[in-house]
Amino acid sequence: MTSSNSPAGTPPDPTLDPTRDPARDPGPDEAPDRPRNSARGLLIVGGSIVGLVLLTGIVSFFWTPFDTGYTDLANAKAGPGTAGHLLGTDRLGRDIASSLMAGARTTLYVGLVAVGIAALIGTPLGILAAMLPPRWSQFVMRCTDVMLAFPALLLALMFAAIWGGGITTAMVAIGIASIPSFIRVVRSGALVVMTSDYVQAARVAGRSRWGIAVSHVLRNVAGLVIVQASVSYAIAILAEAGLSYLGFGAGLTTPSWGLMLQESQSTLRSDPLITVWPAVAIALAVLGFNLLGDGLRDRFDPRRQR
Amino acid sequence: MNRHESSPPAATPRRRRLRFAAGALAAALVVTACGAGSSTQPASTAPATTATATTDGQATAGQASNGAGGGSVGSQPGAGASGSDGSAAPAPSGDPNATLNVGFVAAPASLDFTQDSGAAIPQALLYNVYETLVRMTPTGEIAPLLASKWTVSDDQKVYTFTLRDNAKFSNGAAFTAEDAVFSINRVKSDWAKTVAVAQGMSTVAKAEAVNPTTLRVTLTKPSQSWLFSMTTRIGAMFSRTGVAELATKAVGTGPYLVSANQPNVKLTLTRNPDYWGTKAGMQTVNFMYYKDPTAMNNAELSRAINVISSVQTPDQLDQFGDTAKYQIIEGTTTGEVLLSFNNSKAPLNNKNVRQAISYAIDRKGLLDTVWAGKGALIGSHAVPTDPWYTDLANTYPYDPAKAKELLGGKTYTLRLRVPNLPYATAAAPVIASQLQQVGITVKVDTLDFPADWLTQVFTNADYDMSIVNHVEPNDLATLWGNPEYYTRYDNPEVQKLLADGDAGTRDQMIADYRKATEILADDAAGVWLWAFPNLLVADVDVKGLAKNQVSESFDLTGVSVG
Repeated sequence: MTSSNSPAGTPPDPTLDPTRDPARDPGPDEAPDRPRNSARGLLIVGGSIVGLVLLTGIVSFFWTPFDTGYTDLANAKAGPGTAGHLLGTDRLGRDIASSLMAGARTTLYVGLVAVGIAALIGTPLGILAAMLPPRWSQFVMRCTDVMLAFPALLLALMFAAIWGGGITTAMVAIGIASIPSFIRVVRSGALVVMTSDYVQAARVAGRSRWGIAVSHVLRNVAGLVIVQASVSYAIAILAEAGLSYLGFGAGLTTPSWGLMLQESQSTLRSDPLITVWPAVAIALAVLGFNLLGDGLRDRFDPRRQR
Repeated sequence: MNRHESSPPAATPRRRRLRFAAGALAAALVVTACGAGSSTQPASTAPATTATATTDGQATAGQASNGAGGGSVGSQPGAGASGSDGSAAPAPSGDPNATLNVGFVAAPASLDFTQDSGAAIPQALLYNVYETLVRMTPTGEIAPLLASKWTVSDDQKVYTFTLRDNAKFSNGAAFTAEDAVFSINRVKSDWAKTVAVAQGMSTVAKAEAVNPTTLRVTLTKPSQSWLFSMTTRIGAMFSRTGVAELATKAVGTGPYLVSANQPNVKLTLTRNPDYWGTKAGMQTVNFMYYKDPTAMNNAELSRAINVISSVQTPDQLDQFGDTAKYQIIEGTTTGEVLLSFNNSKAPLNNKNVRQAISYAIDRKGLLDTVWAGKGALIGSHAVPTDPWYTDLANTYPYDPAKAKELLGGKTYTLRLRVPNLPYATAAAPVIASQLQQVGITVKVDTLDFPADWLTQVFTNADYDMSIVNHVEPNDLATLWGNPEYYTRYDNPEVQKLLADGDAGTRDQMIADYRKATEILADDAAGVWLWAFPNLLVADVDVKGLAKNQVSESFDLTGVSVG
């Protein structure tokens, strides 16, 4: 704890926290009541939107109004409510409501895997970066910087060019691209924990570094990880939609919101509603995860728990 | 405190440099990967993507020898189509300094159709840059081009061509019978084996120059299709001194020269000032390539291009409804959109399964939904303009119950691997849905066209079903007479009919080819989804674009502006 890398007794500069929104996030000195209340509001709104997406995704496994992929050729481009199609049909006669429900499934799945990859790799690396000697810690952080230079979309396009497009490629690419933000967030949280009295006490008591990392650091940065996961989830949803829109994501018959957007391009002028539905779904899901992330962050913020 | 993160003045330049390096690395990787992808493209007969060349008036795609062939089918009155009358060298009118920009969806892999396949190369270069001894006129007849006339011996095996004495290559060399011999022999000796159309020259026993303007070609056996194939890319005449860099430098005798080529973006042709015949109608023609059909539509709307060579989104045609600005040209092509089967592989080697699939697909509904009802329903490998066409569209009417019965309660899982072309990606989900109804699960994946599709489906036949528009004129024998073709269709009876027909008289050929199409239909060797329409949108002042596409070329002779 002698290197300049360990901020003895000082919390990390809050401006470095990538999840921090300066507009909404008050400094630690402010009264805790107001943020707590707004955090609850964000949590409720975000949580219900995410819950809704989750619910439709789960329900779509068992039931959708029409079979996903079923092309009702007689009712192609039908408006909402026509022939039992709640939100109408797309240009090939597929029921939009069913596609949206099944698309939620794809979106959640992609997000889950991508964020899972990022969290499972990023969290240990972040803790490691906080506990390693400065030279190695720096090495990890500079690698993180290099990775940050690759936007998720560009990385996924590169992967698609090498291994061919597809939902797996997309998930892996989005996951890899999200690793650096986990490393940074976890490291900054871990640095704070490392300076705390109980960690010092544990050291004095002779606990191994490994033991400290698992029982003290990991447990205390878990909140940060959950917050970051929520934010990354929103990014993953957008990236998946973007990739599918470009034709590098979901396969032709995989239900996907981005693909729905892309396919509706040719009917944008004649039947704009076909484009509106998946666009609303994407916007709503991203909003939901972002709000949830903000709410969770305010709730878990270690600075406010003291 | 936190020196590594909180001292921006020192850290920022370094980080920026790092970021730049990383970005450059990424770009390099992407470029490498793309390059690798496209360079592996095997040459072949390119069941190509686009409906292209346009011609006017009546179409008799096919075997018209000496232009006397029957089977011409009246075409619809031109929707604003105007222009050439089918004579060999129509005199273009209009602004001689004009520039014409034409939009296409498939870009050429190179300028060399002797090594690279794909319809996009002959589409741009044939008749415009390279000329043939005989050409396909807009009305589907075989007419003189570099040969002013020709005679055929009584046994139909010796063709004697009289060549023009004033034609010149763009490298300055005169065109002589020696060049013709060189070009014909070169098809057999130097063309890539994977360019399947080169097979058309295999019936040639020898070609000899009698004198500088007389060429004599002897065939091993009478062949109806040989003279026809001389109107396609394999009949293109090359200079003996101009084939060193064909991929980048085209040396032909045509009315246009290639003046610039930006691969996948733009190919520029300019008027050949030394052309032997009627000079070209425009100073510059740009072939502009758009991956995205909507982008191409927008380019036309914003006047960036003057012609959409092939409308890929027929349901968006209403954008061009303003007749003061646009003309919509609707005609026929020689393309059949085929749901192809790997006929050699279980379960599609089973006729019952193929028939069941044929019954399970509502082709009328498919055409109406996917291609806005533009095009004709067909039931075998012939378009209505083929002389041997008979209406087989009702061989397998839409009947899911019958399909289930034929499958006998069994369920199957099949892979449908389609090129990433608009008609294919639109049709695939519909096919998948309809086959699902009768118990066949379809796994769809999209392959990059041309590179990936040609390698995996066309060359390796690693597929169960695919969807491709077979645009080549007169391709019945290519697809179904050769068991090595990607359809892997091996039927000795069909092979014999196609071979006999080719060697026989014209009437015999029509009869034999008709019989072959009937067998193919009955055998359900594929599902012919629809005959691809020729749909163009052009500025109103573009003249001479024609309705029907009968050759491999987007033929600019006769096109003018203003």
